[in-house]
Amino acid sequence: MNDAVSSQAALNADDERPSIVLLELIHRMKVRDVMTREVCVTDRDSPLRAAQQIMRKQGIGGVPVAEHGRLYGMVSMPDIIRAWEDGYIDDPCRTHMSTRLVVLEEDMPLAFAIRYFGRYSFGRFPVLNREQMLVGILSQRDINRALLRELAGEVKRLESHSGASLPPPAGGIFDMYMLREFPVAKLDFENAGKAANQIRLMLLEKQVEPRVVRRVAVAAYELEMNLCVHSNGGVLSCLVSNGRAEIIARDNGPGIPDIEWACLDGTSTANAWIRSLGFGAGMGLPNVKRVADDFLIESKPGGGTRARVIVQLGVQSDGKPSAPETSARSDT
Amino acid sequence: MTTGVIAQRTGWEVLVKGGSFDRPIRKVVASDLMSDVLVVDEDDMLLLTSLASDQVLRTAQVVGAVGVVVVNGKPLPSSMVSVASTLGVSLLKTRLSKYEACVALSQMFKEAPKP
Repeated sequence: MNDAVSSQAALNADDERPSIVLLELIHRMKVRDVMTREVCVTDRDSPLRAAQQIMRKQGIGGVPVAEHGRLYGMVSMPDIIRAWEDGYIDDPCRTHMSTRLVVLEEDMPLAFAIRYFGRYSFGRFPVLNREQMLVGILSQRDINRALLRELAGEVKRLESHSGASLPPPAGGIFDMYMLREFPVAKLDFENAGKAANQIRLMLLEKQVEPRVVRRVAVAAYELEMNLCVHSNGGVLSCLVSNGRAEIIARDNGPGIPDIEWACLDGTSTANAWIRSLGFGAGMGLPNVKRVADDFLIESKPGGGTRARVIVQLGVQSDGKPSAPETSARSDT
Repeated sequence: MTTGVIAQRTGWEVLVKGGSFDRPIRKVVASDLMSDVLVVDEDDMLLLTSLASDQVLRTAQVVGAVGVVVVNGKPLPSSMVSVASTLGVSLLKTRLSKYEACVALSQMFKEAPKP
């Protein structure tokens, strides 16, 4: 089993539900965070022998053929072996390099790259930027090293908070405690909605009244779709404590220039494709406000967005839920 | 009136029998705009739509719909059946247009004995 496959297997360990922390990591991290930036390259006119020397010196199994940042091909170890066997090791790379390349883009989530390693048999992928220039190379070793480093940080963080996050004893709605986080990837319509539905099922299992559960689920779903459609991916979290559900959607996306406008019925920046999926009618945020007892949204152009919804799950001992309150803040 | 009774009387193709197949329907919503569906504050709705996508089923589950009927005889992506099965949402299909399906349902509800 190669490293990429084992990474994928780890995502499906135990009861086939991937670790939330791991999922969040591989969706949050980008290829550019993990790739090796110092790429040893050769050019089209250099002999294959030169490529072989680079491989030996660097301890790598493939060399990109690039000139002035433009990628033209790859020379891999099997290419070199064939060159020795057939006697053309001094031919220029351009005549025998692989030109049907599979590349990654530096903005892609790491999750995407991991799937590529599972799908193709390559040990490494060249990484291009938006201008299609070679900016790095990504190997399975890079991924494993980065994941271990990030997971170690996550474990430390969880350990430092473990005392504060212990749930109180089970009881009624006001004794209930639950904290879940769900990564949401950009334009991942295959999975969009799963987080909201998991939140819904958890609340139903806890015997929360179905009409209240629907309000929470609708808010979570609208915010989840917003993350999917408008951000570069983010995290949806659900905290249930003190008899209320708090849904938070946060992202590091482009931000909302005018929140007041975005909260108006019928205003939307969604494109035709999003609309063809039944969304983008500009009713998302107004609908979130409608179902929320408390709604807060903060955003800054280029600085991401954070939306928070609170829904009271029951009536307190004084017979009153908290007063609805809606606010928005935008730094423009 | 339940999804099961509707399927029996109309002959609409049942692709998935969900957990609410025999639960009484309290409202029928016909829309291709999932944003509209999310605004409806009603339990046990039956959703009619010409949109053939997995998101229809996820939306249906979020609002607690009893089932989804895809109209216009649209070919469904194979993923829809597996998603509907996973979510436990009933999935039906009819060749009727959305308008014709609404008319047929309206007639059936009118003729149904009052509870």
